[in-house]
Amino acid sequence: MKRPITAALAVIGYVIMIVPIIFVVATAFTAGSTLRFPPDGISLRWFDEALGYEPFIEAAISSLQLAMLATVLALLVGVPATLAVHRGKLPGKGLVEGLFLSPLIVPELVVGLALFQQLMIGMDLGNFSTLLVGHTALMLPYAVRVTGASLALADPGLEEAARGLGASPLRAFFTVTLPVLRPGIFSAGLLSVVTSFNNVPLSLLLQGRDFRTLPVTMLDYVQQSYDPMVAAASTLILAATVVIAVIAERTVGFAKIFGGINQ
Amino acid sequence: MTAAAELIGVTQRFGSFTAVDEIGLAIAPGKLTTLLGPSGCGKTTTLRMIAGYSAPTSGTIRIDGIDSTRTPPEKRDLGMVFQSYALFPHMTVADNVGYGLKLRKVPSAERRSRVMETLELVGLAHLADRKPKKLSGGQQQRVALARAIAIRPRLLLLDEPLSNLDARLRVQMRAEIRRIQAETQLTVILVTHDQDEALEMSDEMVIMNEGRIVQQGSPQQVFPRPADRFVAEFLGYENFLTAADGTPLTIRPEHLRVVENGHKQGHGLDAMVVDVAFRGVDLLVSLDVVDPSGATVRLLADVRSGATLTPGSSVTVIAPDDRLVSLPR
Repeated sequence: MKRPITAALAVIGYVIMIVPIIFVVATAFTAGSTLRFPPDGISLRWFDEALGYEPFIEAAISSLQLAMLATVLALLVGVPATLAVHRGKLPGKGLVEGLFLSPLIVPELVVGLALFQQLMIGMDLGNFSTLLVGHTALMLPYAVRVTGASLALADPGLEEAARGLGASPLRAFFTVTLPVLRPGIFSAGLLSVVTSFNNVPLSLLLQGRDFRTLPVTMLDYVQQSYDPMVAAASTLILAATVVIAVIAERTVGFAKIFGGINQ
Repeated sequence: MTAAAELIGVTQRFGSFTAVDEIGLAIAPGKLTTLLGPSGCGKTTTLRMIAGYSAPTSGTIRIDGIDSTRTPPEKRDLGMVFQSYALFPHMTVADNVGYGLKLRKVPSAERRSRVMETLELVGLAHLADRKPKKLSGGQQQRVALARAIAIRPRLLLLDEPLSNLDARLRVQMRAEIRRIQAETQLTVILVTHDQDEALEMSDEMVIMNEGRIVQQGSPQQVFPRPADRFVAEFLGYENFLTAADGTPLTIRPEHLRVVENGHKQGHGLDAMVVDVAFRGVDLLVSLDVVDPSGATVRLLADVRSGATLTPGSSVTVIAPDDRLVSLPR
């Protein structure tokens, strides 16, 4: 090890992040009926319970719908905006990009409260529509970041080359630019679905009787009954998230998505 | 004979910067013309205006005699090879080369045979199904060339095509491009900052500086007769001195002769050796020379190894009249 302090910090970081997760996963496999570590025997009964618990299933479907719709909307707004920012001769480029990235900085509770005041109270929008607006805004930075990273990597000469060979600007965009950006857009979509699905602050503030996301439902459940079913549900979500994250990492790479940490 | 491309009073400004300043140029069909100059001289901007990627601020561009000043690139039928090659990363070599033919709605059987024919020409038929990423720099360069040629362009435009290759490959590709040009009879415009490349490859060379054309002609015409000090320096005339009547003169290091004193000849110049650098086959000798106007100037002479010159020794420098080039004042 060339840098012992860096290595030690990395190890501590991993321990702090991973150990609590190991506890949750371990308790999910318990055969007993309390959230305890070490678990009392091993069984899959709590997974069975979680998958059979109507409110969780219903909420999971709601969460997925919200996550996918918000992702599609964020990509539809974010990708063209990024193209315009990077390739066009737009005045105030930096301002536009900053605006699209701002949801990363503004505290979600503030966003949530603002949406609650303006859309739900002020405009009388339903809580699903309000949540959709909120999640879309939260997902925009992913669309902008990833598209920007892919664009920065793509040779600007590609479009010119296509034009020179006889393609109209529109044709060049669809046959060259878009296919080159596709892996980036794909992984932005995956990450955005995961982030929306796991979001708590916004979903908590904007929940309603008719629409509630899975994390919020689980939070409610934990407050009332302290059994390993929540651990089992969390483990399932974790597994799905890991799979998606691995796919995203394989297609583009996190470093590129999160602004070139390792470049 | 109609020029393959003609620029009339073409100017390109970017804000307050004039990249190309009212140039006039006629490109002879079937020939290889190079635009040569240091970076920022306007050569690439000129090429991009011919290709249609940027419209001139003023002036007219004709291609095959037709005013094409405002024609978008896709309507010009020109083949362009970019410095970065700009190969489509998501397509195979064959699809890259066939892209322009597909847009021209060439039926797929004919397309395939024309793609293979073109790949054959650049010696890459065996790599047709590879993705560009799997190719070496030199191979990518050939694919870019094949893609530009496949559409049978009216002009083939090459923007510093060899600058990303290593030195040996670069020299090989010069001959290769000449061969392809001869086989296809294409009109080629090549942009380069490498004078050796331009001298070796050109039928006609156009030397640019600060947005203007400073000299134009065949390498055989231009090389021995640089039009001004800029061209002389660019072509490797290292030595500048002044004649007795005040005319600026230049001469190449390899044309100066250095004679050790005691062998003094009639019209030699008095000089003192400042430094001797050993370069294998020859020696590069720095000299302080009293030129015909009486001023002392630092000159470089390229002398065969074996001469016994030491720093500080007095020598005589001979600049043969037929090698001296007079420059405008």
